[in-house]
Amino acid sequence: MITAMYIHLQGIKTALAERMAYRGDFFMSTFIMLIVEFLVPLVTYLIYANGASFPGWDMYEVLMVQAIFLLSRGIAFPFFFGMVWNTIERVREGTFDLILIKPRSVLHMAIVTGFDAEDVGKFFGGAILFIVSIVNVPFPGLLEWVTFLALFCVSLIVMFGFALILSGLGIVWIGNYRVYEIFFSVTNFGMYPASIFSKSIQTIITSILPIAMLGFIPASAMLGRPAEGTFFSVIISFVFLSICLLFWKTMLKRYTSAGG
Amino acid sequence: MIIKVENLVKTYKSYERGNTFKETVVSLFRRKIKYVEALKGISFSIDKGELVGFLGPNGAGKSTTLKVLTGILFPTDGKVDIMGYTPWKERKKYVSNIGAVFGQKSQLLWDIPPVDAFYLNKAIYSIDDKSFKKNLDYMVELLSVQNLIKKPTRLLSLGERMKCEFIMAMLHNPKIVFLDEPTIGLDVIAKDRIREFILEMNKKGVTFILTTHDLGDVERLAKRVIVVNHGETVFDNSIDALRSHLGTKKLVSISTHEPLPSLEIPGVLVKSKMSAYDAELELDVSTMEINKFIDYVNKKSSLSDMSVQELPIEGVIKDLYSSRKE
Repeated sequence: MITAMYIHLQGIKTALAERMAYRGDFFMSTFIMLIVEFLVPLVTYLIYANGASFPGWDMYEVLMVQAIFLLSRGIAFPFFFGMVWNTIERVREGTFDLILIKPRSVLHMAIVTGFDAEDVGKFFGGAILFIVSIVNVPFPGLLEWVTFLALFCVSLIVMFGFALILSGLGIVWIGNYRVYEIFFSVTNFGMYPASIFSKSIQTIITSILPIAMLGFIPASAMLGRPAEGTFFSVIISFVFLSICLLFWKTMLKRYTSAGG
Repeated sequence: MIIKVENLVKTYKSYERGNTFKETVVSLFRRKIKYVEALKGISFSIDKGELVGFLGPNGAGKSTTLKVLTGILFPTDGKVDIMGYTPWKERKKYVSNIGAVFGQKSQLLWDIPPVDAFYLNKAIYSIDDKSFKKNLDYMVELLSVQNLIKKPTRLLSLGERMKCEFIMAMLHNPKIVFLDEPTIGLDVIAKDRIREFILEMNKKGVTFILTTHDLGDVERLAKRVIVVNHGETVFDNSIDALRSHLGTKKLVSISTHEPLPSLEIPGVLVKSKMSAYDAELELDVSTMEINKFIDYVNKKSSLSDMSVQELPIEGVIKDLYSSRKE
C-alpha cells in the first residue's frame, strides 16, 4: 500500500513536471477549466434571477448540488479520470504495451500515468461554488457533515466506476473520444435535484445507475434533508463499482495491442 | 534454460470492412469476421546469457511472439515458461525480471528530462537508492550521456534518446531484455555505441532477444538466429549455420583483359554484368570449384582481377523470408 502511494506520488510529481514544461498553457488551461465549470451554475443563477425556480429548492440549495457535483469531478478528473484519456491514447498509439510491462497493476499504472494536472481547475471551481453555497444555507451540523463526507466518498466511487467503463471501452473501441460525450450527457442528471425529474428517471438515477450520488444525494445530506433511498443508493454504488471493475478486466483481456 | 516456448499459437479476430462505399455502409451493420493466424505453433528455447536474433519479414509474427513473451498478449494456445513464470498468468512478478526496449515506442516522457522518467521507474520497480545510483552511474558512463539525462527528452537526438531508453529498461537489473528494433533510424556511430552497450551487458549475463530488420545488428551481436515467417519457425541455428544455409556459394567479381566468355555454365549465376569485361556472379563451389572456374575463364579469356567473398547475409535472409509461402 505504501509502495502504491509512493508510486502514485511519483507519478503525480512527474505529470506535474511534464505539464509545467509549458507553464503558460498550463495556467491558461487550468483557468479555462475553472471558468467552464461555472457555466451550469450560471444558468441556475439566471433561472432564479428571472423569477423561475426548481420546485422546492432555493437557488443556493441547487448551487450546493452543483458545487458537490463539481467537487466530485474536480477530484476525480485530475486524480483518476485521466486514465480514460490515457487509455484511449495509449491503445491507439500502441504504447499501452508499456504499461503492461511494468510490475504493477495495469489499472494502477493507467491511473498513475494519466494524472491530469490542469483538471485541478475543476476542483477550484467546485470549491469556490461550495463556499458560496454553504454561507448562504443554514450551516450544517456535525451529523450532516459526517454523512456528507461519507456520501461524497461514495460519489467518488461512482465517478471511478464511470472512469472504468469509459477506459474499458477505450481498450476495445480504438480511438473513440466520444466516450466523454456519453459520460457528460449521462452524468448531467446528477447536477440537479432529483425531485425535478419524473419518477422513472428518479428510479434510474438513484437505484440503477447511481448518478444522483454524484451531487444530489450528498448535497441533500449536507442540507439536512436526506434523499429517499439514500442507503439503497449507497449499496447500488458499490454494486456499480464491482460491475465496472469486472467490465474493465474483461476489456483488458480483449486487448489486442497495435501492430509491430 | 531460461526461456522455453512450446507450440505457441495466436489467432486474431479481425473484421473485413470492404473498400467500396456499399461495402463500407454494409459493414456498419454486418461485418465479416476474419481469423488471422499470427503464430502457428512456434517452439524454441533459449539459455541464460544467450543473445538471440529473432528475425522475420513484416507480419511474420515476431512482434506477436515478443508481446506474448513479455506478458502483453494472451496466446490462443501453447506453453511458455520463462524463469519459471508463465508471462500472461504471473505478469506482475514476471515483468519485474525483464526489460524491454521498443525502437518505435518510447518509455521516456517527451517534455521532461530522462532522469525524471528514471525516477518514476525507480518507484515502479521499487529499486533501492544504492542500486539505482550504482546502475544509473554505470550506464550513464558506459553510454556517455552524463550531460543529456537532465535535458528535456524532446531536445535529444534519436540516438541520444535511444541510449536513455536502454538505461530506462535496465535500471532494475533485468535478467532478460527484449529489444524490438532498437537501432531503427540511428546513424552508424549511435548504432555502434548501442551495440557495444548490448554486448557489454550480455557479458554480465543478461539474456537478450533482439528483433530487428538491420542485419548489421544480427551479424555484430547475435550468435544464434531464429527466423520466423508466416507464423512458423523457418530457421533456428547459429549465425554461421545461417551463413551456410544457401550451401557453398560465394560472391565472385571478375575482370578480364578480353571480353568475358559465356558464363551460362553449371554452378554460375550472373548477378550483374557491368561491361563486356566485368561481372559479378554467384559461384556454387560444390558444382564448380574456384580453381576450375579460373581455368575456364583463363582458357576462353584472360583474367585481370578477381575477388571472392562470402555471400552477404541478406541473401540468406531473403531466401528464408521467401520460403514456405502459401
